[in-house]
Amino acid sequence: MDKKTLLENGLLEQYLLGELNAKECEQIEQFLASDTELKTYFDQLEQDFETLGLENAITPPSAIKSQLLDTITSSSGTSKVVELKPNTNSKWYLGIAASVAALLLVGSFWLYNQLNEVKQQLKTVENEKTELNDKLNELNQQIEDETALFATLVHPDTEQYILKGNTLIPNGKVVSYVNHETKSVVINTERLPELDAEHDYQMWADVEGEMINMGVISKDSNLMAMNYIDHAESLNITIEPAGGNDHPTVEKLVTNIYLN
Amino acid sequence: MHLFVFCSAFVYIYTGLYVLDEQSLTFGKSLTLMQNDNQLIQQLQNKDERALSLLYDNYAGAIYSVILKMIKDEGKAQNLLQDTFMTVWEKAESYDATKGRFYTWIYRIAKNKVLNVLRKTDPLIQTDDFSVYNQKEDAISIDAEYLELNGAVTQLEAHHKEAIELVYFKGLTHREAHQEMDVPLGTFKSYVRQALKQLRESYTKMLSLLLLILNAL
Repeated sequence: MDKKTLLENGLLEQYLLGELNAKECEQIEQFLASDTELKTYFDQLEQDFETLGLENAITPPSAIKSQLLDTITSSSGTSKVVELKPNTNSKWYLGIAASVAALLLVGSFWLYNQLNEVKQQLKTVENEKTELNDKLNELNQQIEDETALFATLVHPDTEQYILKGNTLIPNGKVVSYVNHETKSVVINTERLPELDAEHDYQMWADVEGEMINMGVISKDSNLMAMNYIDHAESLNITIEPAGGNDHPTVEKLVTNIYLN
Repeated sequence: MHLFVFCSAFVYIYTGLYVLDEQSLTFGKSLTLMQNDNQLIQQLQNKDERALSLLYDNYAGAIYSVILKMIKDEGKAQNLLQDTFMTVWEKAESYDATKGRFYTWIYRIAKNKVLNVLRKTDPLIQTDDFSVYNQKEDAISIDAEYLELNGAVTQLEAHHKEAIELVYFKGLTHREAHQEMDVPLGTFKSYVRQALKQLRESYTKMLSLLLLILNAL
């Protein structure tokens, strides 16, 4: 069989229409595979038969298509598996994502709590630190004061005067330390009788007949510094209304001493 | 911009086709089918139901027409159409694009199924398919218009048209058909070739019309 007889006998047409047996089909297929001209002719033939078919198309009832698709969907288990798989996969990933999100949420909540707790602790520590600082300052101040007092007491030039109480305070006495070099006065009031709340002891210096205020004696402390007054001739203590007075109440003079 | 040009070109083509007539519309459809089929068939072979659905939309009408004209029974034709596409679905892997067009493949499946039914339902089983065809002619339960032909084939001379009708739409072999027409086999074969040649000419005319429209754009 050659190309010419093949064409003249309409074998391509019969092959296309499915009229040939398996052996003949094989022969035609070999021809088509080896001869491009023949193949082109056959392609045209196919195209024409297809166009012919489409031109004569009759629309089948739509129920057929839905029946067909239903049958396929219900019969092909494989396609169902294929469809389900990505679903379960995506749910699996969704689950992981949700777990991670939940973990993050719980984690951040825990961290937030921790943060608050730490903040609270920091605040407490800061308060304590402020308190301690205050205390330290207070103590420093106290030490400074007392060092100053002590410096006066131990100074070699310091002179000690003892003011003995008169009839108003028979057993009372005040020890005073006066230093003209450093211009300081410290008194020990341990033996002064206590006064009521409305009255205070006040100390005065006599300078050429005039009484000059040296300060009100505190009720809290036994050892204290008083104002040093230049050219003082004597030291005097009176009882005055609480908070002190501008001028001494002479009738209430409890003790005095002349300086050397 | 490209998309716009493409879209308007499409609109023009289809408008042009409507202005022409039904024949060229079908021709345009078959041109469109050529481009998309390869991908669809690939998807079908991967068991994509959507692909089957689209291929059904493209080809079921043509195949249904052939089945109807062969078996002349709407109920049976519908069953056979469904059966054909079930086979298309199940045997999709066995389709080889290098051996021929997808439509040809379905056409052969459908034709074989109808011929099998025709042979089985015939109480007097004959070895000669021709007799089968003759006997079935009696029991027609079908709308006559379903048996009429449309398109370019109707423009052919009567004997050319009949030759095509017998081998393509009625499922007769060349051997059966030449007896039916009562002409020698060689003559019948030349009828078929002549008919196909004229069909080709009229389709080519439509193609040039299409190209003319495209050029006008």
